[in-house]
Amino acid sequence: MEMSSNRKYQVYKCLATVGKWILFAMVAFVILFPVYWIFISSITAPGELFKTPIDYLPDHPTLDSYKFLIENVGLLAKVGNTVIIIGVTLFVGTIICVMGAYAFARFRSKGVNLAFGFIIATMLIPEVVTARPLYEFMQKVKLFDTYPGLIILYISAIVPFTVLILKNFVGEIPVSLEEAASIDGATFVQRLFLIVLPLMKPAIATVCIINFITCLNNFFTPLYYSNGIQVLSVAIVQLPLRDNMYGVPWDLVSAMGWIILLPIILFVAIFEKQIMDGIMAGGVKA
Amino acid sequence: MIQKKSLQWIAWVLIMPVLALRGFTTIYPIVKTVLNSFFDIRILSGVNEFAGLSNYINIFKDQKVITTLKFTAIFVVVSMLFHIVFGIGLALILNMKFKGRRFLRTIVLIPWAMPSVVIGMAGKWAFNNDYGLINDFIRRFFPDFQLSWLINTGSARAAVIALDLWKDLPFFAILVLSGLQFISGDIYEAAKVDGADWFQSFFRITLPLIMRNVLTLCIPFTLWRLTSFDLVYSMTSGGPGEDTSLIAYRITMEAFTNLNVGYAAALAVLLFLVMGIFSWVNMRFMSKFEN
Repeated sequence: MEMSSNRKYQVYKCLATVGKWILFAMVAFVILFPVYWIFISSITAPGELFKTPIDYLPDHPTLDSYKFLIENVGLLAKVGNTVIIIGVTLFVGTIICVMGAYAFARFRSKGVNLAFGFIIATMLIPEVVTARPLYEFMQKVKLFDTYPGLIILYISAIVPFTVLILKNFVGEIPVSLEEAASIDGATFVQRLFLIVLPLMKPAIATVCIINFITCLNNFFTPLYYSNGIQVLSVAIVQLPLRDNMYGVPWDLVSAMGWIILLPIILFVAIFEKQIMDGIMAGGVKA
Repeated sequence: MIQKKSLQWIAWVLIMPVLALRGFTTIYPIVKTVLNSFFDIRILSGVNEFAGLSNYINIFKDQKVITTLKFTAIFVVVSMLFHIVFGIGLALILNMKFKGRRFLRTIVLIPWAMPSVVIGMAGKWAFNNDYGLINDFIRRFFPDFQLSWLINTGSARAAVIALDLWKDLPFFAILVLSGLQFISGDIYEAAKVDGADWFQSFFRITLPLIMRNVLTLCIPFTLWRLTSFDLVYSMTSGGPGEDTSLIAYRITMEAFTNLNVGYAAALAVLLFLVMGIFSWVNMRFMSKFEN
């Protein structure tokens, strides 16, 4: 009796494990296989893409599509634009958001609370509602199709989320730490730089990682607020057709797609924990 | 409260940059959009005159917009239903205790982190009849399968919704998971002792405990669907005809391609009103649900 129930438990446990791995395989396949397909397409010679059934292990891997992107589409300039815009956005954006978040957490008055409520509420405003007037305004003040103009809009897009996360984080740093320093004669600036900022490092890292991904995903802003300055997300929808009549330059799209995906996959793999923490803290856009 | 009243000015200095930036990119454009919606502004023909409510009246006579609104409704409802059902399912999978858990939790972040335009462009080719990934997969089981997904209304709509789910469902599941993790294992142990099977403990314990969390999540996810633009822009350009055109896509086309600015503004105001009403109803519903 004892034996048989034990045996039954073993069988049940074994079946449960098998079931779990089957579910695991299904989810992993659905997510990873399309990504793999984009990758192998990008290293397949353009002619061999028009083959059915699809060859999932290309016979003659080639970097021809990447070479074409660099030589004829100006890939490096577009990577440069993307890096400059995202870099400055993260740097300036983080500084002004830390300032704002500190004030929102530490100074309480009706006006300050109202300002915070306003910034969070603007999260819900879709960019299509503001697009046309903002486009005309940017042209009027000569910020259209300029780096400063794009960076201003990129920063604006990350402000609500960043302020929300950082404000909650500052709120958890005990005020007593600052009060003690204040009694010891520390000025406001010293308290901010020597006490609060070092403690905020993990939160700042989290928002920077998530904002990097958000900025790389930003499509609407560079599409409608610039012409000459192209970033990667816009470039992928404006690639030239080479030698096919299907309307999709899949050889180049897959290569360009993979250039965007590589940093994203690396980021996700390295910073999985920070990204999860950031997502769970709320306010991240899909 | 460590700060004295006299130090309030410091707060405003610190807040000013973010406040000014958000104000500049939202308040003026919204006011201008509302004003524009009462004017007939067509840049191509140089028209700019007061038009009263005629832009709003035209919305309901415009066959393109009616088709768009229809698909927007289908898109939001169908996608959200799948989000709820499969999102909870995927969250349960992510919550399973086994060795692959960490790997699984990492890879579900990939679709969320991928730009919609990359997914849309890949989707355009993946749903190609001859050389696409989807038909290639189906033909391994049904060799004679032929379907040009993006040319027929029904299949094009299904394809758009499928890609939307591929991108956002994992993200929804992660957020459901954050609710699941708060449920203590003791409750399940107790239920097991009382003889409850898996289904009973799911429907009697898990579901009621995460339902509030799931309903709350539905608010932003529905609003994001209502304003979805990138995917349709890159994948179908609203085609065939206007059958996969979403309202945000239609607004942008009127504003930037047809340069029918007044009409686009009226559509934008309409979208904004729908979003506002939806959020309000949902909040009322949530507060009822809590009582």
